[in-house]
Amino acid sequence: MRLLLVEDDPRTADYVVNGLTEAGHVCDLLRNGHDGLFAATRNAYDVIVADRMIPGLDGLSMIKAVRAAGVHTPAIFLTSIGGVDDRVEGLEAGGDDYLVKPFAFSELLARINALGRRPAAQEQKTALRIADLEMDLILRRVTRQGQPIDLQPREFSLLEVLMRGEGRVITRTMLLERVWDFHFDPKTSVVETHISRLRAKVDKPFAVPLIHTIRNTGYSLHVPV
Amino acid sequence: MRGNRPSLLRSTPFRLALTFAFLFVLAFILSGAIVYQLMSADLADQLDEAVKETYSVVAVTYAEKDLEDLVASVDSHAALSPKKEQLFSLTDASGNHLAGNFTAADLPDGFSMFAATLPGVPADTMYRAYSGSVGANSLTVAFSLSETEELERIILMGFGWGTLIITGLAITGGALLASRVQRRLDGIAATMVDVSHGRLEARIPLIGNGDDIDGVSAQVNAALDRLSALVGGMREVSANIAHDLKTPLNRLQMILEAAAGKTESGKDVSRELADARAESLQINETFDALLRIAQIEAGARKARFIDLDVNDVVKTIADIYADVAEDDGKSLSAKVVSDTECSVHGDRDLLMQMFANLVENALRHCPRGTAIGLSVARQGDRILAQVADNGPGIPAEEREKVFQRLYRLDTSRSTPGSGLGLSLVRAVADLHGATIVLEDRNPGLAVSVGFPAVEPAS
Repeated sequence: MRLLLVEDDPRTADYVVNGLTEAGHVCDLLRNGHDGLFAATRNAYDVIVADRMIPGLDGLSMIKAVRAAGVHTPAIFLTSIGGVDDRVEGLEAGGDDYLVKPFAFSELLARINALGRRPAAQEQKTALRIADLEMDLILRRVTRQGQPIDLQPREFSLLEVLMRGEGRVITRTMLLERVWDFHFDPKTSVVETHISRLRAKVDKPFAVPLIHTIRNTGYSLHVPV
Repeated sequence: MRGNRPSLLRSTPFRLALTFAFLFVLAFILSGAIVYQLMSADLADQLDEAVKETYSVVAVTYAEKDLEDLVASVDSHAALSPKKEQLFSLTDASGNHLAGNFTAADLPDGFSMFAATLPGVPADTMYRAYSGSVGANSLTVAFSLSETEELERIILMGFGWGTLIITGLAITGGALLASRVQRRLDGIAATMVDVSHGRLEARIPLIGNGDDIDGVSAQVNAALDRLSALVGGMREVSANIAHDLKTPLNRLQMILEAAAGKTESGKDVSRELADARAESLQINETFDALLRIAQIEAGARKARFIDLDVNDVVKTIADIYADVAEDDGKSLSAKVVSDTECSVHGDRDLLMQMFANLVENALRHCPRGTAIGLSVARQGDRILAQVADNGPGIPAEEREKVFQRLYRLDTSRSTPGSGLGLSLVRAVADLHGATIVLEDRNPGLAVSVGFPAVEPAS
């Protein structure tokens, strides 16, 4: 993917650019908001990663201006401004995701991947299918190898999030936000508990496991390679 | 330059006293001027009357064609005034002097004023005269104004001295009173300077006469009491924070030193790296939690409050944690009254976190087999949400302390946790205007959060 990073702190910028390049992405780095706005409206990027406190135009205003210019490139804020209201502010300004520093690189990469491969036009899928696992989004039914699997509503949303991100890493925090609407870090094993219950229903009775644990990061649903 | 002006002139009480003295003296001078005017008019009237009366007394001695008596009368009257305070003049039709101690010339009939320079009298002495015709002759009686002038001079002198004395008294009295007030203001200022230099135990001395300055001083002292209590609390919290963050930082340093030692001898350090990572994550989490609590306490989130159903929040939490509790060998059940609307004005994210923290607290600090119960009930105009367990509970004397930041029970030091969970619960409850009570269930602990209910719009 081609990415735009607007970040003024050289250390963070190096860390992010190196990581993204290693992961196979092309990354343009700009140091201030004005240049960022110019680049974002001129070039076609897959994802914009913007710090909030940058010289010139601040990140929030920059994304607002990008949106006002009619550019809908997915944007993620990467910032140390992590207040209770700041996340909402970032999303209201037109950001698609919000990641607070300090962050784990795997978390950033997972979120960039999730944003970048989001279907351009939000086509309404009615069913998801990965290998022999099928999910009917309208009847809210799940089958594997044709056998119905009985899921609790929250297990269903958990599986849906994992299936929509097929092959990609979905971090623990992403799951908490998307499945449980938790914008804080629980001190107990909420995610682990529900994943293990889901596994017991989706993977255990079958020969091939689809849900994989990515150590220290999160989970991924795919056919084992 | 303003700053270089003498401090007395900048003192408000002194300025007030000065202004008051000025007004007082002005009023005294004005009233004096009016009295003086009235008196001098009255004196002039009295003089006119006396002149006319003497004239009548002299004139009545004249009889038809008989000038003898009149001449004698005029001369005898004139003789009574050797110092010429009173002048008498009788002239015939052609202006020749007939009798008297002066000769009036060209005076109109009736009252008039003239200045005369006569032997034995200061030059240009003013006289008030009354002239008239007696037969074919002209009679003039004139009284000197010097007596009236002397009286007026005495009155003016009196007023002058009075003004001087009053001005002096007003200024010195004002200055004395002002300096007393100023001393008390200086006392307040000195106390505030002390406070701003960090001596928070300084208090304004009270006189005890219950006046307004004492009242204000007492209020300032009360505010200072509260301030020093708050600062004391803050200091304690900061010390706790410093202490609690030093421990993981020390551990981190030890891990890194061990790793450095291992690298030197060419050993694998991946375990140390993982430990260091976990340690730094923990430090970050503590900081995040502290910041979050501070922001919640600052109240910014209130702008986003909406009406929401507590039942719904509690049910969601119960739903999420039931499986977690089960896997942990505990049970979690929820008793919610779904038919009664339990609306409160609040923030869903924060309430979710509050109940999650309470449930996690019970999960972490209770042994296996504990039953945790969530319930919501309406009590009058309050909505009572409760998280109860039958675990070990919290000793009564610790119940207030557990809400302090980074405070941990001795019995729970070994279990994981930051000591910030309940502080956040308290901050969220406070933000929602909710009360929070810890009760003993013998055995176990019940945390009750009482929200003010919002009547659903009908």
